[in-house]
Amino acid sequence: MVDVSLKQVDDPARLTKVEFTNLDKVLYPELGITKAQVIERYIRLAPKMLDLLGKRPITLTRFPSGLAGEGFYEKDTPMGTPSWVDRFKRYSETAKREINYVVCNGLDTLIWLGNMATLEIHMTLSTVDSFESPDLVLFDVDPEPPTTNDDLINTTLMLKEKLDALGIKSYVKTSGKKGMHVVIPIIAGYTFRQTRDFVHQIGKMLTKESEMVVSELPRSRDAGTIFIDYLQNSHGRTMVCPYSLRATSKATVSTPIDWKDVKKGLNPAEFNILNVAKIQENPWRDLMKNKQKLVVS
Amino acid sequence: MEEQVRVPRRPIWSGSITIGLVNVPVKLYSMVFDRSITFKFLHKIDGSPLKYQKVCVKEDKVVPWEDVVKGYEVSKDQFVVFSKEELKAARPESDQRIRIDKFVDYLSVDPIYFEKSYVVAPNKSNDAYSLLLAALQKMGKAAVGRITLRTKEYPVLVHAYNGALVLTTLRYAYEVADPKNLEEINGLKEPKKEELDLAKKIVNDLSGEFDITDYQDTYVQKITELVRKKTNGETITVERPVKEEAKELMAALQETLKQLKKK
Repeated sequence: MVDVSLKQVDDPARLTKVEFTNLDKVLYPELGITKAQVIERYIRLAPKMLDLLGKRPITLTRFPSGLAGEGFYEKDTPMGTPSWVDRFKRYSETAKREINYVVCNGLDTLIWLGNMATLEIHMTLSTVDSFESPDLVLFDVDPEPPTTNDDLINTTLMLKEKLDALGIKSYVKTSGKKGMHVVIPIIAGYTFRQTRDFVHQIGKMLTKESEMVVSELPRSRDAGTIFIDYLQNSHGRTMVCPYSLRATSKATVSTPIDWKDVKKGLNPAEFNILNVAKIQENPWRDLMKNKQKLVVS
Repeated sequence: MEEQVRVPRRPIWSGSITIGLVNVPVKLYSMVFDRSITFKFLHKIDGSPLKYQKVCVKEDKVVPWEDVVKGYEVSKDQFVVFSKEELKAARPESDQRIRIDKFVDYLSVDPIYFEKSYVVAPNKSNDAYSLLLAALQKMGKAAVGRITLRTKEYPVLVHAYNGALVLTTLRYAYEVADPKNLEEINGLKEPKKEELDLAKKIVNDLSGEFDITDYQDTYVQKITELVRKKTNGETITVERPVKEEAKELMAALQETLKQLKKK
């Protein structure tokens, strides 16, 4: 017997605290996309994602066995969450209990989310610093078939013009599902009731300009309508974060777009895991530097 | 692992290939070897090898070999008992023959059925052997038949391989599952033409000659290297392996970390 002492050395390639598991698990069966590819995309998109995500509680949609298996929505920090993952504890009015949210404020946390097969990351419209008051206003432009892509684009542009006319700079992204998200960064001091009312009012104004637009929830599922959904502007409610994947068979991504590219022929479903990381510029780069006042009437 | 694998000196079987009334005396030699690494269990304290013993579950005592019989479990904890003699009597008798039933196109036999291959060598029958070999080579045919090796009868294929006759034992039909039994496979759709064209292009671009030496058993290589180091008294450092899939991630990580630092 040769006595040999074993010494554990750290792999120099180890750049993350995350222990990768089941990297070859297929998460998007239709495209054959594995967990390794999902994590890789999140790593590549991280510089664009983390600025906005970093200070917000998030909720997750996870598919541990891929889209072919069961998926679930998770608000609470999951069991076995590493101690280095930051959390934010707050009473949730919708869940009627205390929630221990995950806060994704670093690359390692984003990688960890990917390793847990998190396909969707949803973030609140306020930050941990002032959770009760929003710093983002969300217009969820939500079409109902048989509307076309061009109908959706037209309505989204109508909304932009309305906001432009009020002197408000807005930002747009695909939802990654059917619709478009238009977002306004705002200065501190507003309440969710105020932002919600603001979005609702703009929606009502748009109904006067287009037969297709509806501003009230009961009509939102009528065939051929486009609902300006204002309801997510509430305490604890969330929006899918920019560059989050969606749990769709085509692995679509909620993708920020420059307004100049929002025009006839744009197909929001084209933005997916395979092409989004290749886009160089981030149209939302200066979003948090453009906090604005809302005209609340 | 680059060295040529030699055929062992001693044959494992001798007899003859019979085709109708024709007999070709032959010997069989092993030609495929399991080269996976095996470890012996040792006592941690003094390094001496450990042995297996058969222990009676009820008495918790070691049972001597002559008191061991075989039991076939018909249902949970219900056994039908066989003595060694009974089993021996039931065994197929080896009649030292490879009985050929017919000749088939070699490529028509799916490799799924191939189990284990042996070199067939002439046994003072050089002329008949080379005649059979040449006929199979020229016609691309293989002989299908049966052999009894030790205690089991196998379907076999006798075919030409690399200038020799080779006998490959085959699995029985009931030993191989039909993949179409899987629901996921049963309901497959026909792909669209443009999709298929793209797939064909990828296949064409990656086409090449099959060469098994492109593949190396890296685990065995690593252990062999470790054994060499250990016997030389060198210190071994345990490396945390980076998996193939993880390499891509590490590359992405390095780039992203660089970008984040710039901010």
